[in-house]
Amino acid sequence: MSHLIHIELDRLEGSLLRVLGLIERRGFHIDQMELYDLGEKRGLSVTVRPRDPSRSPDQLGLQIDRLYGITRLSADPRVGAGADTQAKQGIRA
Amino acid sequence: MSNEPTGAQLVISTLKALGVETLFGYPGGAIMPIYDALAGSGLQHILVRHEQGASFAADAYARATGKVGVCMATSGPGATNLITGIANAYMDSVPLVCITGQVGTHLMGTDGFQEVDILGICLPIVKHSWLVRNPADIPRILAEAFAIASEGRPGPVLVDIPKDVAAAHTGTSSTATFPAWTAPEPDANAIREAEKLIASAKKPLFYAGGGVEMGGASPAFLELVKRTGIPVVTTLKGIGVVPTTEELYLGMLGMHGTRAANTAVQESDLLIALGARFDDRATGKLNAFAPNAKIIHADIDPAEINKLRKANVGIVGNLKTTIESLNPKVEGIQKWVEKCKADKWEHRFRYNAPGAGVYAPALLKLLSEKAGDKFIAACDVGQHQMWVAQHCEFANCRAHLTSGGSGAMGYGLPAGVGAKLAKPDHHVVTISGDGSFMMNIQEMATLNRYNIPLKIVLLDNSSLGLVRQWQELFYQENYSEIDLSDNPDFVVVAKAFGLDAFRITHRHEVEGAVDRLLAAEGPTLLHVLIDPRENVWPLVPPGASNAEMMEERWDEPLDSY
Repeated sequence: MSHLIHIELDRLEGSLLRVLGLIERRGFHIDQMELYDLGEKRGLSVTVRPRDPSRSPDQLGLQIDRLYGITRLSADPRVGAGADTQAKQGIRA
Repeated sequence: MSNEPTGAQLVISTLKALGVETLFGYPGGAIMPIYDALAGSGLQHILVRHEQGASFAADAYARATGKVGVCMATSGPGATNLITGIANAYMDSVPLVCITGQVGTHLMGTDGFQEVDILGICLPIVKHSWLVRNPADIPRILAEAFAIASEGRPGPVLVDIPKDVAAAHTGTSSTATFPAWTAPEPDANAIREAEKLIASAKKPLFYAGGGVEMGGASPAFLELVKRTGIPVVTTLKGIGVVPTTEELYLGMLGMHGTRAANTAVQESDLLIALGARFDDRATGKLNAFAPNAKIIHADIDPAEINKLRKANVGIVGNLKTTIESLNPKVEGIQKWVEKCKADKWEHRFRYNAPGAGVYAPALLKLLSEKAGDKFIAACDVGQHQMWVAQHCEFANCRAHLTSGGSGAMGYGLPAGVGAKLAKPDHHVVTISGDGSFMMNIQEMATLNRYNIPLKIVLLDNSSLGLVRQWQELFYQENYSEIDLSDNPDFVVVAKAFGLDAFRITHRHEVEGAVDRLLAAEGPTLLHVLIDPRENVWPLVPPGASNAEMMEERWDEPLDSY
């Protein structure tokens, strides 16, 4: 099953490689992507597909969120709400 | 000549402004402007003998102090030699700032001499990284680097500075600051949900990781343990978050964990995971891990919640506040606690190994007891590392420096260098094996150069012991490339580096040797010959449930060693 993730990137050295590398390293295929201009930032839409069922797009979203200078704009609405009770907070962990 | 500072001078002045006192490194072509500015700066630079030693020493300096560790290297091979240390810091969430020289910007992308894309290479193993294009950005970038390395879940960062950027003059001289980040407070509803689960549990258990100490929460955690009476198991990195002598401490869980710890996890009905990440070495077969337990998982990193084990209650945020906020009503667990304590007693480690040779676990236990509260162990990786985790007593978490997530052989000696410089009034002891020790043996020259009175216990079984153990148990005794019987004479080698060194081979020599080692004034190596057939027990076979522990038992009475 594919998942579409929209990402906003600061124009920092290596930011595109950083996020694409993370997606592959965390166990996802990148099936499609589109890079677009957002003025001071860049937008990236990526369609990802887990390599195996154990790979959760929810977790991938959280992994992307914690990258510095990279903000996940939107994704599967379930992202980040995996626990029964969890304080979902945008933090630079 | 311009009076304006160069990029290199800004590097040094900013490091000083950020509170750096000691850094570890090795010069070379592309970083020469920075080393030029370093001379006479007042910063204590420790010249290691291999860049890997610099990153490991800085890592240990950070672990021992809680401060940010700093290391430097030149471009190309200098930078790539840092990488194992960077990965090590990433896996164990250690705050580390790595500064690398880079070839001049006009040469970048041309395969210039000693050019390597270190920013690209390190992307998966850093929290963040920068390539500095403008010398005026240096104060801001370094301030960011220190903030990002230390805030939230700590980790390594990389600042790559081309030679021309370091050499260029700039009008910027002010030291930039970076807005402080405050860890989010835990959600009050999640805390209440956690308290309800704890109140209803009959077999609750704390599963504490290194995040407890990194979150500054160890004292609060010990208080919570005493207040609730709930038993504790820890990860490898969590050892010491409560003193190992604490009666409710059941030991380390996982592959080489204690039977009491693993049994408690498997039988618990509520696992309260604090600053831990359900690592495979801790959980064994994941879907058989704590099969009857509900999970409370608290961590500063939201990406850890549900990563491997779904949490019934996830709490993201400041771990100290989380722990201080937890005030559950705990009732009806006495039978469980007594059972845990009984298991701990029944399956306590024995030290009456047969034979007259040195029994390493007994030596290590004695060493930590004699060194007392000032003991800091800088471990290498292998059997000795697990014996330290099992048998040494630790008063706190920062006393146990070990390469947990990455398992990097060669960590121990440079880690000892960093730790002893950080904590000169402590008994810092590198505990190594003959395989690991050879990987960074050159750092004995660093000990000698700066007369760093590090103590080294080298447990020598003339083989790669942990690999040998696995080949014996899981590869039908097909011993492949584990023989190190052609090792050099380590006592001679250590003396050649300027250390004092001596050897023991028999059990009756242990106590005197430990006393001599701890009393020595200068850097000293104790070379200990041990039985190459000795294994680490207990052991959960790879891929098995933690309930399936292999153990070796002796028939002799349970006399203490």
